Amino acid sequence: MSIASAFGGAGSGPLLVAIAVVLALATVAAVAPRSRVNPASLSLALSGLACIGIFVLGVIVLASGTPVVASAGDVLGFALIDVRYDALAALFLVALGVAGAASSVYGIGYQAHGGAGADRSAAAYPVFLASLFLVFGADDAFAFLFAWELMALSSALLVVGSRPTADVARAGYLYLALTHLATAALIVAFAILASAAGATGFSSFGPAAVGLSSTTRDVLFVLLLVGFATKAGAIPFHVWLPRAHPVAPSHVSALMSGVMIKVGIYGIVRFGLEILGPGPEWWGLLVLGIGVASAVLGVLYALMEHDLKRLLAFHSIENIGIILIGVGVAILAVADGATAVAGVALTAALFHTLNHALFKSVLFLAAGSVQSAVGSRDLNVLGGLARAMPVTAIAFGVGAAAISGLPPLNGFASEWLTFQSLIGAGGDRALSLVARSAVLLAVGGLGLTAALAVACFVKATGMTFLALPRSRGAAGAHETGRLMGAAMASLAIACIAVGIAAGPVSAAIGAVADGLVGQGSTPATAIGPAAVGVPVVGIDAVYAAGRLAVLLGGIAGLTWLVAMRRRTTRRVPTWTTGIAPEPAFEYTATSYAKLIRLYFGPILRPAREVSVELHPGTPFPRTVRYRGEVSHVLDERLYRPLHRGAVGAAQLVRRLQSGSLQLYLAYSVAALIGLLLVARS
Amino acid sequence: MIDPSTLANVILGLIQAVLTLLVAPLLLGITKRVKARLQYRNGPPILQPYRDLAKWWRKESVESDAASALTTVAPALVVAAVFVATLLVPIVGQRPPLEGWGDLLVVVGLMALGRFVLAVSALDAGSAFGGMGSSREVAIATFVEPALLLALVGAALAAGSTDLGAIAALGVASGIAWYTPAVLLAAGAFAIVAVAETGHEPVDNPDTHLELTMIHEGMLLEASGPRLAIFTYAAELKLVLVAGLFAAVFLPVGMAQDLMPLSVLVAVGAALAKLVGAAVVLGVLDASLAKLRILALPGLLATASIVAVIGLATRLWLPA
Repeated sequence: MSIASAFGGAGSGPLLVAIAVVLALATVAAVAPRSRVNPASLSLALSGLACIGIFVLGVIVLASGTPVVASAGDVLGFALIDVRYDALAALFLVALGVAGAASSVYGIGYQAHGGAGADRSAAAYPVFLASLFLVFGADDAFAFLFAWELMALSSALLVVGSRPTADVARAGYLYLALTHLATAALIVAFAILASAAGATGFSSFGPAAVGLSSTTRDVLFVLLLVGFATKAGAIPFHVWLPRAHPVAPSHVSALMSGVMIKVGIYGIVRFGLEILGPGPEWWGLLVLGIGVASAVLGVLYALMEHDLKRLLAFHSIENIGIILIGVGVAILAVADGATAVAGVALTAALFHTLNHALFKSVLFLAAGSVQSAVGSRDLNVLGGLARAMPVTAIAFGVGAAAISGLPPLNGFASEWLTFQSLIGAGGDRALSLVARSAVLLAVGGLGLTAALAVACFVKATGMTFLALPRSRGAAGAHETGRLMGAAMASLAIACIAVGIAAGPVSAAIGAVADGLVGQGSTPATAIGPAAVGVPVVGIDAVYAAGRLAVLLGGIAGLTWLVAMRRRTTRRVPTWTTGIAPEPAFEYTATSYAKLIRLYFGPILRPAREVSVELHPGTPFPRTVRYRGEVSHVLDERLYRPLHRGAVGAAQLVRRLQSGSLQLYLAYSVAALIGLLLVARS
Repeated sequence: MIDPSTLANVILGLIQAVLTLLVAPLLLGITKRVKARLQYRNGPPILQPYRDLAKWWRKESVESDAASALTTVAPALVVAAVFVATLLVPIVGQRPPLEGWGDLLVVVGLMALGRFVLAVSALDAGSAFGGMGSSREVAIATFVEPALLLALVGAALAAGSTDLGAIAALGVASGIAWYTPAVLLAAGAFAIVAVAETGHEPVDNPDTHLELTMIHEGMLLEASGPRLAIFTYAAELKLVLVAGLFAAVFLPVGMAQDLMPLSVLVAVGAALAKLVGAAVVLGVLDASLAKLRILALPGLLATASIVAVIGLATRLWLPA
């Protein structure tokens, strides 16, 4: 074993080693015996430090333009750790660094506050961070799969914790099962590429992929897409996500939704777009279709949820869908040689990836604060928390506005770019008519998604933070600790800052995207007034986020001052037709979504059950019970039959198992002879 | 030294800002008057909306004791979002007052921002009516927004740009040739959703306070005094925004390009005529149509999306 060989990239090598060492220390700290310092806090603090290092590393790579390369741990000639952080990887490092640092700081307060994650399973947290750090840089199939598996196992451990309930254990099990389905697809794809290239390094995969037959390339693309879309939680591979994300501790949920599922996006961009290169148009159409389906269905199912964290988990599916729309258009446009449109589309996708890491983290962290303050995350028992928990409420509100794609926040900027790429592709004659029709229909799908997201976050914000508390727990809630507040506040500020700085940020991302689609060195140009002869560089010239934000704030502030200054405001109870206001009069999360549930009934297929128990001998009801649910078509039509089939197949295979040693030895001999026969022919 | 064309745009922008701010309540007065006359009533005076605003403005502010600070700031945020959106639409001049600050997607985004703040703040007092209006507003918006975007994208494709100034300029330059089947169908789709977006029959009744039918008014039920004045003014300004957007894209005539007194006069007159025309049409609709059952609305609004998609299809698939 030789440790460490070449380092490159402006002296970033020591930083790389430092990150690894700090994460290793954090792992050790988590299992250290309890002393004066709480081991879990120490571990989280060290993890946060490492994340700052990861962020700095990402920024260095982006700023210098030179990749950081390192290699260590040769095992039998294969590099176990063979990393290369180029610009694409660096973008994901920036997201990991910010979300990871905030989540770690939050986690210190969260576990001290009695939240989950205060036990030995906390050791999985730094391992999880390390695996994410490694997976974005892995430059070799072995290193990648090693990091990939480490990521799956450590996150599964964090999901189930050390004393799981039956439900949580099931969620963890389903997650492990599906993530290994993804791993299987990737192993096959990597094996095909490695045998064509004669090496396992990713740098050799690209040239090798060019020489493959078009059928092999199609098979490769589908395998890679299945593997990475499963990790991303895209529909129809999403079933694990809404089950696993809500049950993890909130700072882990934030990382899983904010960063881990983006490994799927990273994979599709790295392998589908960069290594496989231009393919047929239907690759892009397939990704676009998955994107639109994920976006629309994800947000629809989110609207039907009244568990705050499950709602957020479904929104991760929605946002992965929005990202995949951008990726799909990029693949489509590259296939037809429309690199300018592809640049805009990929910029939109990568920008939205970063933005989602920011706003989804703040939302999950705020949901965690609500849960630890109230003891529940059921929207129907929350309410009225804005006055007791102002920091959490404002942070959640900013995150909600950002994820709803409202200007001038960051979510709007990347959705704006996505719309621009769709319109640009729709008007580009290089694309086939079918492709242009598809992208223009996707405009409607994305518009529908945006409107549904507004509806969902009006509901989530209003039901959690406004009106009268709907339970005693909500009435007695108070703000959680300072560290948690600081973590949420800094992420909310980041959402605003990135939204206002949309121009420079998208230009930096655009440079990376243009490099990947072969657009050369020109920054991604929005197809705004360019078509009428005004050259446009970046999104600044068409959408001036900063100036708009100042103007909006100025007008609103002035109106508020003029209207409310030196004026008496009388505070009275809400008028409820003459009787004292009660929380029971308020709309609930379920009733709020009712109209949408009915409007989209053909998709959601809602079922309701109302049972009324009367006072004996009278027509007056004593209790009324309502139970309503929507059916998840894919769960029922796709996964239930699959599950039955898998269990059935397992029963068949079980007949091979007798427990007799001799029989197993016979199997081994038979397998060996079989292999030798195959190898001989 | 300021470039003369920039100077012209700044002055025309100021004219537009003042004009739209002044004329917004008048449009509501006209709509109500037209509706009343068609129903053989006299109706309120045309200037009544101004008097209402002045009256509410002078009153004290009453807030629910269940409400958070959001209730206090929401009206200002809503009116700011709508007003800034009007500044991105060329109504008097051929270029928008805030040229280069945002395109039609930003206008749609600002409308969504206003809707978000209004719908959230409607939940703040804990009244059932607020929740009812809010949930209806966001549910209907899920059909309005895709149709709006598809219709505007139809025009953007025709112009090769999402910039409203560029679209208006091309519309002016093409004259009658602007009205391709694609643009006409987009205009039809936009017209349908414009009625929903401004809260008129057959989607919403601006005059009702009957709980079964309220949408927009339900959200304002807990607002009083200056807050009610600002919310109502924002709704009046929203009509200017939607009508101005329609006119800029689908009826680009008479807009000024310079500061010649005649062209400015023509532009102001044309802008007024278009806005008043929209107000009259809405009054006629209010008087002649019954409100659709709320469960039947998707049928109407999805029609708009389908019309817009057919418009896009004619652009793509018909030989030019």
